[in-house]
Formats: sequence, structure tokens, C-alpha cells
Amino acid sequence: MSERQWPEHLDPVVEEFEDCFDSMERYELLFEYAKKHPTPLPPEEWNESNQVHGCQSRAHVVCSIDESGKFLMRGGADAQIVQGLMCVTAMAVNGMPPEKVSEMEPNYADAMGIRNSLTPSRANGFLNMFERVRSEAERML
Amino acid sequence: MALDIEAIRNDFPILDRVLPNGKKLVYFDNAATSQKPQVVIDAMTRYYEEYNSNAHRANHTLADEATTALEDARSKISRYFGTSPENMIYTSGATEAINLVAYGWARYNLHQDDVVVVTEMEHHADIVPWQELNKEKGVEVRYVPINSRTFTLDMEAFEVALEDAKLVCVVHTSNVLGIRNPIEEIIEKSHQAGARVLLDCAQGAPHERIFFDNMGADFVAISAHKMAGPTGIGCILVKPDAMAEMGPFMTGGSMIRRVSTEGTTFQEGHAMFETGTPRIAEAIGWGAAVEWLSQFDMREVHAHIHDIAAWTADQMLEIPGIRIFGDPSHPDSSGAVSFLHDSIQSQDLAILLDEGGFAVRTGHHCAQPLMDALGVPSTNRASFWIYNTLDEAQSFVEHLKYVCERFA
Repeated sequence: MSERQWPEHLDPVVEEFEDCFDSMERYELLFEYAKKHPTPLPPEEWNESNQVHGCQSRAHVVCSIDESGKFLMRGGADAQIVQGLMCVTAMAVNGMPPEKVSEMEPNYADAMGIRNSLTPSRANGFLNMFERVRSEAERML
Repeated sequence: MALDIEAIRNDFPILDRVLPNGKKLVYFDNAATSQKPQVVIDAMTRYYEEYNSNAHRANHTLADEATTALEDARSKISRYFGTSPENMIYTSGATEAINLVAYGWARYNLHQDDVVVVTEMEHHADIVPWQELNKEKGVEVRYVPINSRTFTLDMEAFEVALEDAKLVCVVHTSNVLGIRNPIEEIIEKSHQAGARVLLDCAQGAPHERIFFDNMGADFVAISAHKMAGPTGIGCILVKPDAMAEMGPFMTGGSMIRRVSTEGTTFQEGHAMFETGTPRIAEAIGWGAAVEWLSQFDMREVHAHIHDIAAWTADQMLEIPGIRIFGDPSHPDSSGAVSFLHDSIQSQDLAILLDEGGFAVRTGHHCAQPLMDALGVPSTNRASFWIYNTLDEAQSFVEHLKYVCERFA
């Protein structure tokens, strides 16, 4: 496992992906994660203001802080790969203080073996989504 | 003489590329950009290694060699497109070529309520400049719809739109649908209506020879990088009488005759529109590309590409959930096959195809009005060119089947 820059509670998820036999199995697992997003944002709540721009797929993110000051990310995407990574991101950031979220790096996707997840392309749905979450966390500080 | 595809493939070093996941590259994103043959790479390298210098500016040996190579390239390229060097203006690509028509011709010749006709099939590069001109000068922009059943232009609507038109802007071959428009009929009817014609040949030029002087269009926009040339260069071909109506677009060095604190006078002809240091290496590379292409009969090239595209589309339609946009079986269609799966989102599908080594394009293809007309936000697109083979297409169809069975 590469040097961790994600919260410890995400380790079992990263390990589950690392244990996959090949890339197709990893994507199959990611499709499964897409279905178990802990805090989904249903399509009826998707709008221009919560859209993550620059994605080839549609992706929407809403971030907030609960009464105890903990970060909460809700998200939805039409692409299952982005939705799966969104699910893993929500598992990582939900319940964390915003300052910890703002300091997070997206390299857990790389560690999970999701190739090209960190390519600095304007069309990279995961990176655009992650940057949106991180900037929302910074805005809350 | 039949094309020797193996020999052609040997001219493209990148086709031997093995991807980081161990899969051999199968490049089906040719409508986005083609790969480059070794002769193009060598020509550009030789320029930088042996005679890199600025052109049209100095009298030393290197400057003379660079200037000669730049203008030799213009001769080769214009000859390839069936016209003379005076009718060709270097641009950064088809997008800048169309913008040059918008800002160098239309801005000087169109006025409030003048009509510009475009089609729903256009690339954004042939829509947004006209929308901007609408904001700036109040010209009316009319859109010719497509028939969503046949994926062809509605020619009855086209004729209606032509009334009082001053400029007709049409894509030669759709980058999404692979449909070749009836450009001969469009040019004839537009001229009868008194309109000038701009053809976007970014996709057409890699598939058929463009003979500018014979085809009758007033402006033809071309990109080098989709036809074996380098990125960053293209041209607009302009009829002499249309060029005489043009005024400066970008201003600065090279395009001037005399600058004083009182004002500036400009060069005439293509020199008026080529400001700043030219794209010398790119022009030389494009010259090498058209020389390389000249060894082939483009009708044979088109037939080869068409056979692969038609076969692939036919096989893809056997896969449950796949639908195709366009008519790859039509003899005029290019090598672009746009498709969608009904439950695997297009970006997901492209990533899963990439896992098999297959490079395809995903997205709205810079043609959102066309996507709206098709009722979809995006498509996947496999696009074939001269070096692709039926074996590659077969392995693509097999991998697509496997992905659809496993992930649908």
C-alpha cells in the first residue's frame, strides 16, 4: 500500500481493492460500491449550482456541516465509476472535521488501483469531484 | 493497387505501443487526432536539429532555409488541396480557420439582420463564432435541423433557411455521425441564393481529396492533425474574391507593411492574416504529411476505412443494448461510429474499453446542439483510419461484448 494520505478508517476499503485479481474485478467492485453510497444525492436534487463541471459524466456534490461540526458530503453521478469513487470519498470524509477534509489528498483512488484516476485532465470526473469536496471543506473553515 | 496496410502500419511507430496495463494499443480515436508517420516526426526533428530559425525575418543561412521550408510546405499543402499557395492562410487549426472567417470576413461584410446559416450537425467551432457575431453585430443565425431517423440534414429546411442568407457554414463530414453532407448541392444552392459558403473539412480532408479550386466553396477550413500532420496547424483556403473582401483579424508583426505612430498599413493576401512567428516546424511536418498521403489513392483509403467501420457497426448492433448514431453502412460515411449502451454510461464504457487497450472517444464531441437533437448527453465513438485493420475491429467487438456481458 502506498503511503497513506487518507483517513485510517478507509484502509479496509483500499485493501479490498488492492486484493482484486485484475482491473476488471476492481471496476466490478467499484460498480458495487456505486450502489451503496452512504449519503447519496438523488437525481431530483441535481442542479446547476451543485454540478461538478468539467466531467464527461454528470456529477453533483452537496457538502454541509452537521450540528456537531462534522463534514457531510452527499453526491451523485450517472457514471458508475465516478459514483463508486464518490461513495468511497463519502466514506472517507463524512464525520471528519472540515480542516482534515481540506488537507486530504486524492491518492486513495490510486492506491485502490483505479488507473488514470489522478490524470490532470479537465475531463477527469473523480479529480473534479474531489477538488469540489476539498474546496467546499476549505470554504467552511 | 490494394493498400498494403502492414507497410502503412510500419510507418507509425506508436502503433507498436504497449500500454501500462500490458495491453497493446488499438487506436480508434482518429477523428480526434490521427497518429503521425515517421516521416513527419523526422521532418520536424530535422528542422529543430539542423535549421531552426525564424522565417521571413533575416538574411542568414538558417533563416533562409527556414523560410524556404515554410513556403515549400505551403506549396505542397496547397497543391495537395488543389489550389495555389496564394489562396491558403496558415492557422492553428480548423477552429482558428473558422474564427478567421468570422472575424476577418464576416465582421467586415455582414451587418445587422444579415443571415448566417449553420446546421445542428456543426462542431462548436462552427457555431460559437456565429453566436458571438450575433451578439456583436446583430446577424441572424439560422440552424438547419437534422432528420433524427436518417441522421442526415433536412435539405427542405436548408432551402427555406437560405432565403436572404449571406453566409452558409456547413460541416463536410460530421465528427459524431460520420455522415458526409451533400456539399455539392449545398454549395450550388447557396451560391444561387447569393450566399458565400464556408465548409468545415476537419473530418472530410482525412477521408477524401479536397480539390478547392474545383469544389466551389468560398472558404474551406482544415486541420493538419487529423490527417497525419502535427497539432497546432491548419489552414483556411479562400477564393481570391473572398480574400479581397477580408480585413485584419489578429494584428502584430509580419502582417504589416508599415507601422508608425500615425498608424499602420497592412500586407496584402495571406500575409495579412499570418501575424507573429509562423508555426514553422508544424508547417514542415504538415508538408511531409501531405507528401506521405499523396502516395495513396484516397478513394482506396476511404474504401478501406469504410469497410472496417461498416463491419464493426454491423457486429456491434448484435450486442444487446448497443445502439448506433449515424449510418456507417452508407458508402459516403467516414470511419466514425458513434454508439451508446443503454445501461453502461459512456464514460464508464470508455474506461472499460481502455482496460482492453482500445482508445475511443467519449463525450459530447464539441457538438452539444447535435447531442440535443439526438436526445443524448454524450456518445462513445470509435473512429478508424488508414492504419486500422479488421483484426483490430474484431478484437474490439469481442472486448465490447465481454464488457457489456460483465457490466450491464
